[in-house]
Amino acid sequence: MLVGSLSGCATLPVYKAAVANNTITVPETIFGTTNFQMIQPKNQYYNIGLKKEANGTYTALLLKCTHADNQLTPVGTNGYKCDLHGSTFNNEGQVTAGPAERPLKKYTTEVVSNQIIIHLT
Amino acid sequence: MHAKTLTLVVLSFFVSGTVLAQQPNTSTAEDSLNNNTVKSSLLTNTTIGGYGNAFYQYNNNQKTAKVDLERFVLFVGHKFSDKISFFSETELEDAKVNGGEPGGEITIEQAYLKFNLNPNQYIVAGLFLPRIGILNENHLPTTFNGNERNYVETLIIPATWRELGVGFYGRLNNFPINYSIGLMNGLSAGGFTHGTGIVDGRFEGRNATGTNLAVTGALQYYQSGFKAQLSGYYGGTVGLRKTEADSLGLNSGVFGTPVAMGEGDIQYNGQGFSVKVLGSILSIKDADKINRAYASNTPKTAYGAYAEIGYDLLYRSNYGKVNAPQLIVFVRDENLDLNASIPSNGITDQTLNKNYVVAGLTYLPLRNVVVKGDVRLAHSGVQNSALIINPSPVALPYQTSNTLINLGIGYSF
Repeated sequence: MLVGSLSGCATLPVYKAAVANNTITVPETIFGTTNFQMIQPKNQYYNIGLKKEANGTYTALLLKCTHADNQLTPVGTNGYKCDLHGSTFNNEGQVTAGPAERPLKKYTTEVVSNQIIIHLT
Repeated sequence: MHAKTLTLVVLSFFVSGTVLAQQPNTSTAEDSLNNNTVKSSLLTNTTIGGYGNAFYQYNNNQKTAKVDLERFVLFVGHKFSDKISFFSETELEDAKVNGGEPGGEITIEQAYLKFNLNPNQYIVAGLFLPRIGILNENHLPTTFNGNERNYVETLIIPATWRELGVGFYGRLNNFPINYSIGLMNGLSAGGFTHGTGIVDGRFEGRNATGTNLAVTGALQYYQSGFKAQLSGYYGGTVGLRKTEADSLGLNSGVFGTPVAMGEGDIQYNGQGFSVKVLGSILSIKDADKINRAYASNTPKTAYGAYAEIGYDLLYRSNYGKVNAPQLIVFVRDENLDLNASIPSNGITDQTLNKNYVVAGLTYLPLRNVVVKGDVRLAHSGVQNSALIINPSPVALPYQTSNTLINLGIGYSF
């Protein structure tokens, strides 16, 4: 279910999806007006930031702070912030402010029949 | 058994010389994060981190200086499952604690269980830091300018302010709003001390009274590099038996003899600039009753505000580089009055009407290590002779202005 495209707001549009066989499947059509989407896996505790790259591929980041595992908050379309100790990450998952030192987990993605498949392994 | 396993973790940490990054187990998809080595369950699910700072301070009025390892803090966290985890901060202040001697302090700053409800919401239970001000949640020395923490968030908002209770945190999907509410033990009016606001009324997890409670709440709005927050606190300060409270002329009960606090702040980071503006007001409407009971010269109202601007001089030359050095030049102006209004039985103390101008440099060779140098110009009102009881024969006359020069280092990981 697409919750809504909110290009006027600082939040990323959110797409809720089920996890099946350690994968999440997302239709490419949700990127009609934006290059960023927040994927909210059902029955999981962390969101996934999904970005459409210029070459048509997709980058999927687990929004889990690599310092103390807190959930991350998107800062508009300019990356992610952890409210627990202040770590920030850019859209590529690289640390831009500590105390976190390691980049965000990046999941492998592929596109099959206009469906983006995120492999959670 | 637990002590042995924890010892193993700590030893492993020091032997390796690196942080033991939390390595979730591989039982679920999300737990695949960083699982590139085989480690025991304890090692893979336990996190160690920390922060600390030391600084040299020259006091121009006294013509003296001190050097202090002000804080040495260790984080220990453990993930029991994706849903439930534990987090703690243990702090040693001033490097050394000797029984029966003043100075030095060992405290548990945080120790709570965290229950993830979904990607946007979680609950914490235990000793936690409510979301009030900026510094209370984010107080790593690598995240603020100046060697010393700002005074407004030390004396008006008594950061780091932790109490026992339950907190609920969340964010909205469709709007850039974070929210939090908390329920925790209240303060002790009997602990209030003239000149330190409500600082000495905190229980900080030790034998807190449980019949007087406090509620806190915060709303945050964020947009790109901009963030604004409003937060509040309201709590009772008398956890005594009703008969005892009555005999002291105090109101007991959940919110009896209340303390109320409001806070608002704005932060901006972008293009090498960082701006922080914060204001807070403290209200103790029954201060007269507290003074009658404890003779503590408790104020009815206190307030504080500061504004700070900083600029990274290396921003342009390092633009686009990962973990590039930063050299931030900053200035901060702080104003606070710890007795902005006093009850009829209080005595005004203009030394508590303070202004600090702090300016300096913050150098981060990389983002988690900092070298700081700053000058603090301190000003206050004149001393009230009515408050001088049994003056020390060697005491110097009170001086309304002073200059402190600070040089220090800090780290976080």
